[in-house]
Amino acid sequence: MTHRISRRNVLAGGAALLSMSALGPAFAQEARLRVLWWGSQARADRTNKVNQLFQEQNAGVAINGEFLGWSDYWPRLATQVAGRNAPDIIQMDYRYIVEYARRGALAPLDDYLGSVLKVEDFDQVQIKGGSVEGKLYGISLGANSAAMMVNAAAFEEAGIELPTPSTTWEEMARMGAEITKAGKRKGFYGLSDGSAVEPLLENWLRQRGKALFTADGKIAYDANDAAEWFAMWQKMREDKACVPPDIQALDQYNVETSPLSLGKAAASFAHSNQFVAYQGINKDKLALRSHPLIDKEAKGGHYRKPSMFFSVSAQTKDPELGAKYVNFFVKDPKAADILGVERGVPESAAVREQLASTLDELGRAMLDYVSGLGALAGDLPPPPPSGAGEAEFALRNVAEQVGFGQLDAKQGGETLVNEVSQILARG
Amino acid sequence: MAAVQDTAVAVGTGASSRPAAQSRLARIWASHGAGYMFLLPWLIGFFGLTLGPAIASLYLSFTNFDLIRAPEWIGTANYARIATADPKFAAAVKVTFLYVVLSVPFKLAFALLVAILLDRGVRGLTVYRAIFYLPSLLGGSVAIAVLWRQLFAGDGLINSLLAQFGIEGPSWISHPDYSIWTLVVLSVWQFGSPMIIFLAGLRQVPTDMYEAASLDGASKFRQFYKITLPLLTPVIFFNAVVQTIDAFKAFTPAFIISGGTGGPINSTLFYTLYLYQEAFGNFRMGYASALAWILVLIIGLFTAFSFLTSRYWVHYDD
Amino acid sequence: MTDATMSSVTAPPPVPTGRRGPVGSVLVHAALIAASIAMVYPLLWMISASVRPEDEIFASTSLWPSSVDFSSYVRGWFGLDVSFGRFFWNSLVIAVLTVVGNVVACSLAAYAFARLRFAGRKFWFAIMLGTMMIPYHVTLIPQYVLFLDLGWVNTFLPLVVPKFLASDAFFIFLMVQFFRGIPRELDEAAMMDGCGAWRIYWKIMLPLSLPVLATAAIFSFIWTWDDFFGPLIYLNDMNSYTIQLGLRTFVDSSSTSDWGGLFAMSTLSLVPVFFFFLFFQRLLIEGIATTGMKR
Repeated sequence: MTHRISRRNVLAGGAALLSMSALGPAFAQEARLRVLWWGSQARADRTNKVNQLFQEQNAGVAINGEFLGWSDYWPRLATQVAGRNAPDIIQMDYRYIVEYARRGALAPLDDYLGSVLKVEDFDQVQIKGGSVEGKLYGISLGANSAAMMVNAAAFEEAGIELPTPSTTWEEMARMGAEITKAGKRKGFYGLSDGSAVEPLLENWLRQRGKALFTADGKIAYDANDAAEWFAMWQKMREDKACVPPDIQALDQYNVETSPLSLGKAAASFAHSNQFVAYQGINKDKLALRSHPLIDKEAKGGHYRKPSMFFSVSAQTKDPELGAKYVNFFVKDPKAADILGVERGVPESAAVREQLASTLDELGRAMLDYVSGLGALAGDLPPPPPSGAGEAEFALRNVAEQVGFGQLDAKQGGETLVNEVSQILARG
Repeated sequence: MAAVQDTAVAVGTGASSRPAAQSRLARIWASHGAGYMFLLPWLIGFFGLTLGPAIASLYLSFTNFDLIRAPEWIGTANYARIATADPKFAAAVKVTFLYVVLSVPFKLAFALLVAILLDRGVRGLTVYRAIFYLPSLLGGSVAIAVLWRQLFAGDGLINSLLAQFGIEGPSWISHPDYSIWTLVVLSVWQFGSPMIIFLAGLRQVPTDMYEAASLDGASKFRQFYKITLPLLTPVIFFNAVVQTIDAFKAFTPAFIISGGTGGPINSTLFYTLYLYQEAFGNFRMGYASALAWILVLIIGLFTAFSFLTSRYWVHYDD
Repeated sequence: MTDATMSSVTAPPPVPTGRRGPVGSVLVHAALIAASIAMVYPLLWMISASVRPEDEIFASTSLWPSSVDFSSYVRGWFGLDVSFGRFFWNSLVIAVLTVVGNVVACSLAAYAFARLRFAGRKFWFAIMLGTMMIPYHVTLIPQYVLFLDLGWVNTFLPLVVPKFLASDAFFIFLMVQFFRGIPRELDEAAMMDGCGAWRIYWKIMLPLSLPVLATAAIFSFIWTWDDFFGPLIYLNDMNSYTIQLGLRTFVDSSSTSDWGGLFAMSTLSLVPVFFFFLFFQRLLIEGIATTGMKR
């Protein structure tokens, strides 16, 4: 409270003349929950229905839902949190949860475990995925894993079998080159250039027994690893197994700008919960595949991670009510029917069982993919440190410098490790 | 600012024609009060809405404010880092200066040229004017991002045209050597605002002066050079100053076209885009505020310089 | 005295077109038409994108859709929780209030800077220009806190009230430049007749400045129509969303976007601004009759 007052004094400055600072907005309702999430109208339709259901079952509670597209979501959330006007329930991303939790913007939920939050039938690893520095700050809304989106029709045209869970990078590169060479479509290549895709790099590193970050927030790979990674992609670029750099640079790493959706490549690297969206804007039939292996025996590159969380704001008046809402969202059978797998595969075993029979083909493919990874999936890595977002930018920047020939693979490896180390040290 | 030259005539003569027995207070009111009366709404807005947040951001530039926790005073550390240890700052400054230098002159020249063509009694003036303003209606809409790709991507319209001449172009919009140019083209394409201002300025040129000049047998070029141009200088000056300020502060074009990254390889990392990334992406509002005040300083110097030189080439009627 | 000046208005100026021969005229039109195509092509593409099948938007570069289908318009208009008509209304309210606020408040301030003598004028003018230079991203949060304290968040007030307090220095500066182009003899004559500053502003400055006032009105309307960052921060309830916020709701880069709906509604959203522009640009022309005669 004290820090709020001191900051307000500073911020209001000369403006205090006009402000009636004592008057906060007065709320008519006894209990009111503001829920903020990112997503499309389709997601909003489902979420609003669940909110309606919750209000019906909890007299005296009013829920205000607000939603925005991903890129607009973060500045609005940051402004509201900074202005001490945060929504009570905040949809959180795996990366940002650390940034917000460490700075004290989220309420720890450990006290409600077992009483209000009945998540015993969750995969325990996924509960851990919502923890930061030993405290629980987010309840996973769905499991997810990095995945390769493959244009099945393009593979077929070129007369090439789809990749399997045991396909290696070497084989994948060959497939890519062959598709390009087949030349069935104009300006069409086998693969996207994945050298800047952080989850893909992470997958590759994990197969080598490394990782992106250590538990204490340092870089967990060295310049040789990075140089080898860049060299692998350099080779693929030379063999025309993947798209050239200026086409790859069109990719903003979202659904509609990926080389796959642009009709430039037969495969792109993304996350399994985006499968529906990818299929939605691609005419050809797509398939969901795991990432290639460094060799036939490699294991544990993948991991199931929460696709997104619900967190409760530290500024909320009634965190218990918040926890109750979140529990309803992930556990209630009626809510589950409404939500489906739109936010990823549900974490609750009971809900998964309930949904299994009702899913359409795409939902089925997602569920099967995430639950069928087997030995390809390993442990959840420690949550990304502060500065991880910037580190991802750095990877992209260096990968582009290598792609456009401004650096060779070895220089690229050194530059990347250097930059990432500096970013993490700054925090 | 040097441009606002005082001319004593107006209020002075008015005051002297009033009854002589006025108190000192009334005299002060007569010479200063009216000005402040007219300025009142702006002054209220300035003190009530603008000044506070500006001071706050100046204060925050000396702190490590991370949007969520209380800011801590860290002295000039942010400024020191900017000056000595921030390669991205250097990259952003370079990109921004390039953008200012390329986009402002082209945009202004184009706008002036079209305004003059349209002003000189072209048939269908209103139709052309409306068409030329259309791109500016789109502003920074999300649709622009998609449109620009359709034009400047590898298989976009521009390359299809070039292919007619046997030229195989790169993907202009996503190539580090050319991407900034696509943003310059976007800026020039949206030349509607300065064009309208030029047109309004041309309207203010008294036509009897042209008549006199025609009688004297002055050529059209001479008429333009001797009559139109000098009378248009206040408007040219205005457009140059505000377009330069706008170009320094440009954010939306790079934001929507690069998807907020400023890529490829920082080639479209506008200053304010970098500032935005630091503030909202990396939770360094304190650092971003320091960046902002350095930008204010840069723009301020440019503007002050323009005003200083303006007395040599801008002609006011008063 | 203004009446006397008005009566001396001659017909619109005999613009010297005579010396441009037919060849020159054809050349000029050829150039203008070529430029027009470059101006219009992207808009045609957008309209075409609004009626083509969704999976064709990104993969095809042709201007002609393989099939025409207006369902995007229906889906766009009714597909969100709140109908797009509501967003149009909200944008219209904010834009019209902004036009009024900017024209009134900025012309007052501009008159003071251009014509009146008072202590500290140059100082305030410099400060006013200075306010144009601060990137809004860093004043956003202090301003948000201020408006939150005033209880204005989630209303139109943070977007509209500042305009009535001349917060947009661009328009003040613009009007100052034009006001200074109006001959001082007119003020002086009026002053001799005993007119005060207020009457001069009202009877001489404003009537003689129609082109610049129309310009300010056009820009205010269009820029407000296009603005999205202010509404994004201050309007939380979808019922108070503006068009730009509504449009961005179609796009979520992490999941499914409705591109057809986006282009359909983008196309529709241009209609009101375009008509506003057409209407006010007539004032730009009428400006000739009013200001062309001076001296």
